[in-house]
Amino acid sequence: MAEDAAPKIGVYVCHCGGNISDIADPETVARFASGLPGVAVARTNMFMCSDPGQKLIADDIQAGLVDRVVVAACSPKLHELTFRSVLQRNGLNPYLYEHANIREQVSWATSDHAEATAKSESIVAAAVAKAGRLQPLDPIVVETTPCAAVLGAGVAGLRAARDLAQAGIEVALVEKTAALGGNVAKLDRLFPNQESAGELIGRLVDEVLHDERITLYTLASIDRAEGYVGNFTLHLRQKAGGVVVDRAARLNGRTIGAYRPFEGFMIGDHGAAEEGQNGDDERAVVIEAGALVVATGFEHYTPTKGEYGYERLPQVVTLPDFIELMAGVEPGSRLEHDGRPIKSVGFIHCVGSRQVEGVNKPQADGEINEYCSRVCCTATLAAICDLQEKCPGVAVYDFYQDIRAYGRGHEEYYEKASKGGAVFVRFAGAEPPAVAKAPAGDPCLVTVRCKDGLTWGEEVEAGVDLLVLAVGMTPSDVSTLVDSLKLPVGTDRFLLEVHPKLRPVELAVNGVLVAGASQGPKDVTEATATASAAAAKAMTLLSSGRIELDPFVATVDSQRCEGHGLCVEECAYPGALVLTEENGATRAIVNAALCTGCGACVAVCPTNAIDVAGWTLGQYEAMVDALLAEPQEVTP
Amino acid sequence: MSETPRFDALVIGAGIAGLQAAVDLADQGFKVAIVERDPSIGGAMIALSKVFPTLDCASCITTPKMAAVARHPNITTFTYTEVLSVGRAGDRFVASVLSKPRYVDEEACIGCRKCEYACPVEVVDEFDGRLGARRAAYIPFTTAIPQTALIDADNCTLCGACVRACPTDAVVLDQRPREWQLEATAVVAATGWKLTPVGAKPQYGGGEITNVLEPTQMERLLAPHGPYGRVIRPSDGKIPESVAYVQCAGSRDQTLGVSYCSRVCCMYAIKQAMLLSGSLPIADITIYYMDIRAFGKGYEEFYRSAQAMGIEFVKGKVARLTENDDQSVTVRVERLDQFGQVEERRHDLVVLSLGMLPGEDVRQRFDLEVAEDGFVMTPQPKDAPCRTTVDGIFVAGTASGPKDIVDTIVEAGAAATEASLYISKMIAAAETATAASSADVTSPAADRVEVKV
Repeated sequence: MAEDAAPKIGVYVCHCGGNISDIADPETVARFASGLPGVAVARTNMFMCSDPGQKLIADDIQAGLVDRVVVAACSPKLHELTFRSVLQRNGLNPYLYEHANIREQVSWATSDHAEATAKSESIVAAAVAKAGRLQPLDPIVVETTPCAAVLGAGVAGLRAARDLAQAGIEVALVEKTAALGGNVAKLDRLFPNQESAGELIGRLVDEVLHDERITLYTLASIDRAEGYVGNFTLHLRQKAGGVVVDRAARLNGRTIGAYRPFEGFMIGDHGAAEEGQNGDDERAVVIEAGALVVATGFEHYTPTKGEYGYERLPQVVTLPDFIELMAGVEPGSRLEHDGRPIKSVGFIHCVGSRQVEGVNKPQADGEINEYCSRVCCTATLAAICDLQEKCPGVAVYDFYQDIRAYGRGHEEYYEKASKGGAVFVRFAGAEPPAVAKAPAGDPCLVTVRCKDGLTWGEEVEAGVDLLVLAVGMTPSDVSTLVDSLKLPVGTDRFLLEVHPKLRPVELAVNGVLVAGASQGPKDVTEATATASAAAAKAMTLLSSGRIELDPFVATVDSQRCEGHGLCVEECAYPGALVLTEENGATRAIVNAALCTGCGACVAVCPTNAIDVAGWTLGQYEAMVDALLAEPQEVTP
Repeated sequence: MSETPRFDALVIGAGIAGLQAAVDLADQGFKVAIVERDPSIGGAMIALSKVFPTLDCASCITTPKMAAVARHPNITTFTYTEVLSVGRAGDRFVASVLSKPRYVDEEACIGCRKCEYACPVEVVDEFDGRLGARRAAYIPFTTAIPQTALIDADNCTLCGACVRACPTDAVVLDQRPREWQLEATAVVAATGWKLTPVGAKPQYGGGEITNVLEPTQMERLLAPHGPYGRVIRPSDGKIPESVAYVQCAGSRDQTLGVSYCSRVCCMYAIKQAMLLSGSLPIADITIYYMDIRAFGKGYEEFYRSAQAMGIEFVKGKVARLTENDDQSVTVRVERLDQFGQVEERRHDLVVLSLGMLPGEDVRQRFDLEVAEDGFVMTPQPKDAPCRTTVDGIFVAGTASGPKDIVDTIVEAGAAATEASLYISKMIAAAETATAASSADVTSPAADRVEVKV
C-alpha cells in the first residue's frame, strides 16, 4: 500500500440475527456509511462473525476494493480478534481494523428505532474517521519462559501440574501448607463412585512426585507477583520446614512423604528433604514462569457463632466434621458424639450458600453468599447413605431448599436416602429452620423447627442428637496475587473468567489461567476438568517459545519529550515507563512488554510527547469530530 | 483417495464439544480430522436462541468457533459423513466412514442458493423445530459451514429446476455414498445428545397436543432468525398470554427409564421464561417444578432475577395435560404451596422441559462400554473424567452424560489435553522403536507436525 494513497475503507454492518436489526436498521446505517469520506464499500450481513460474513470482507480485500475495515456489530470484546484475523489472512495488517459497537452500546441500550439507527450512524462515522488515520502496527514479540507455575496443590493443582509436566513443560508447584491434596484429601469416600479420596490423591501425588519436570515448594505463600504473559515473576516466602522437591531431592531417592487421612499427603515430615532446604528460617524464593495456573481452591464456609446453634451447642457440627466422624465408625457399631449415643441426626442444607439479604448475616465484605455451592446437596445425601448403611437404626431429618443432585450418579443417593427412611423437610430461603437446645427432660438434645413446604407449610419440629450443617464453599484468600497482578474477581469473590463459554479457564490478565474451585464451587470431576482445560491453554501458550502481544502501548516522541517525568509518576505499572539519560538529556522510555496502554501518561504529558499506538490523540480528535458532526442528509 | 489419510486425532461430532476439542488440539500443532454426520458443523448449540447465564446469543458464541475450525490449517472437516466403526490397528485407530451424497459437487458449489430459490418442493424443517419449512434443495441454515447446498433425496421430485438454476453446474443427481477409511492416533468422541421423546408420557398428551412444545422448538421461536420471527402459538398464530413450563418432563422419571437429572432443563426453562418476558411483556409465565437446580456459576443469581421479574415458580409435579376446545392446554397440578390442593390451570402454550438422552448408542460403532444410563462410561470420573474404557479414545461433552454448555466446553479442553498427551506418548514410543530397529527406515512420525515433547 502506498503511503500517500487515500484509504479505502470497507464498512460492514451486522444484523446479529436481529439482536441489532430488530432495533437499529443496518441497511440505513450502511447507506449512510457509504456516503462518508474514504468509504469504498458498505455492506450488511446477518452474522458478520460467521463464515459467510467474514467472506464478504475477505472478497473485498482480495478484489482490492478495501484496505481498511470497520465492522459495526457487537462489543469488541467478543469479535475484534475474529475480524483482525480476517485482515491478516487476506494480507492486510490486522491493525488497520476498527470495531464499532452498535449492539451493547446501541440496540441493547436504546428502544427507539430511529434514535438507535441515528446513534449507530454516529458511532460508525467515528469509527470510519479513526480508520482513515490507522497506521499498520506490528505485534510486540516476547520470548516466553518455558515454565509454568501452578499455585495450589489440591486436586486441581496436582492434575494441572501433572498434565503440563507430561506435555514436557517445566512446572513449579507451589503449596501453602505442608500437605498435598487440599480439601479433597480431607474427605473419606467421593461420590458418585465411592472412590477413596486418599487413593485418588495418592495416585496424583505419585505422578507429581515422580515427574522430574515438577519442582514442588511446600509451606510457600506468595508475597508478590509481577510481569506479563510469557514472563511472570513470583516472589514466594517459604516458611521454616518448607520443602523443595526438585531433581536433586529426587536423586536422593528416599521416601518423601505419606498420606495421613483427613490431613493430606504430608511432605517433608519423614526426614526426606534435602538438608539445607529444611532450615529453621523463612526464606525467599523467586520463580520465573511463562504462564500461571491459579488453583488455590476454596475454604469451607465457617458458620457465624450461633448460626443454627454453631459453637453454642456442642451437638452442632459441619458436614466435613461429620464425614470425619463417620469415617471412624465401623458398620453396625453404635454412633457416638461427644461421648453420647446418637439416635437421630439432622442435616441442614445451604449453610453459607443461597443466602438471602436481610435473613443471613453478611460476610466480611458486607455481601451475602447468593451463589449455590453445587456440591453440598449430593455430599449431604452421600453422608446420609453412609450413615444409614453403618448405623441403620438412626433417624435422619434432612432440611433442604431444593435437592440439587444434578450429576451423573447423584440422583441415586437421593433415592437411596429416601428409601432408607430419611425424612425430608423443605424450607424457604427466607424462613430458615430455627435451632434450639431441647428443653430439659426431652429425649433429644437439639430441636429444629421449620415451616415445611412439602406438607403445605405445616410447622414441623424435629428433635435430633446431632445436627450437621452442610456448609458451602468460599474462595481461599488470594488477595496478594489478585492485587499484584490485578486479577478480576466476581461479585461472589471467586476469580472471574474472561467469558464462561468463550474463554472459561482464562483470566483477563493474559497468561493467567484458573483451575478448580478458585473460580467457583466445583466437585472433583469438574475441578480436574478445568485443570486439564487450563493445562491445554498453557501448553498452547508455551509451545512456541514466543508470544505476540498487542502493540497498543505508549510511544514517546523523544524530540518532544523534555524529561519532566510526570508520566513516570502517573504510571501504575512498575517498570513500564522509566527516565533515562540520552545524549545528556533526560527522556522517558517505554518497556513495551510491561505497558498496558492505559494512557494515563498521555494525559499528564505537558508537551504532548506520548501517544498510545492505535489510539493516538489525532485519532481521538477525528472520532470526536465525527461524533459531533451535524447529521448529514443522506440521499437514498 | 488411494492412500488412507492419517491424522493425529479424530474428533467425532462437530457440536460445541467437538469444535472446542478440535481447536485445542490443532492449536498445539496436531493434525485433526473432525467428522460430522449433519450437513453443517455447529451441533445443537447453533440452533439455540440465547444461552444462560449471560444471555449471549448462541450464534455469537458458536459461529466464531465454527469458523475457527473451518479455517484452521491443522483441521480437516468432513461434514455429512458418518463414522461407521472405529477399530484399533497397531498403535493407531482406523475409522470407516461414510460420506453421504449431497447431490451437489462441493468444489463447484458457490453457496448462491439459486437452487434453493428454484426448488418447488417444501419440506418440514427439522432445524427450525419442525415449525417452519425448507426446500428439498437447500443450505441447512444461514450460518452453516460449509455454505454448500444439498438435495434431500427423500423429498426431491427430480424436476430438474435446481439443475437449470445452478450457475456452476454443481448439481450431480447421480452422486453415490462413498465409504472410506481414515487413521488417527487418538479419538475424541463428542457424539452429543438428543431430546427425550416428546410423546413418551401419555399423561402429557403423548406428543399429540399441538400447543405442547419441545424446548428446542421454543428456542427456535425465540431465536431472532427463527421460523416466525416472533413467539406465536403454532396451532393458530395466537400471541400467547400465558406460557407454562413442565419441569422434569423427561428426566428424574423412572417410568421413562430416565432416572437421572438432565442438568440443563431448570436453567433453560428459566432462561426461556426470561426471554419470553421480554418478547411477550404482558404474558404470565409459570414454571412447575420439583427442585430448581440452579447449581452453576451465576445460576442461582439468574434464578433470583427471574423471580424478581415476576416469573411464577410453582412446586409440584404436573399430573396431566389436556387440550381444550380453544386449543389452550389445561395443566393439572398438586399445589404443594397451597395445602396440597389439586388445581387445574389453563395456558395458551406449554413447554415440556425434556431431558437429554445419548446422541447415539456408541456401542454400535466403537468398542466402548456405556454405563447404565446409556452414556459413555468414564471409569475414572473424578480425576480423569474424559477417559473411556479404551486407551486412546476420550470423551467430551454430553456423550458422557447431560451437561450444560459451560461444563461441555471445559470438558472438551480437558479431553484435548488427554488426547494431546496420549498422542505425544505414542509418537515418542514410535520414534524410539524406529530408532532402535533401523536408522534406514523412515520414521512413521516424519510426516507429522512437530510436537514439542
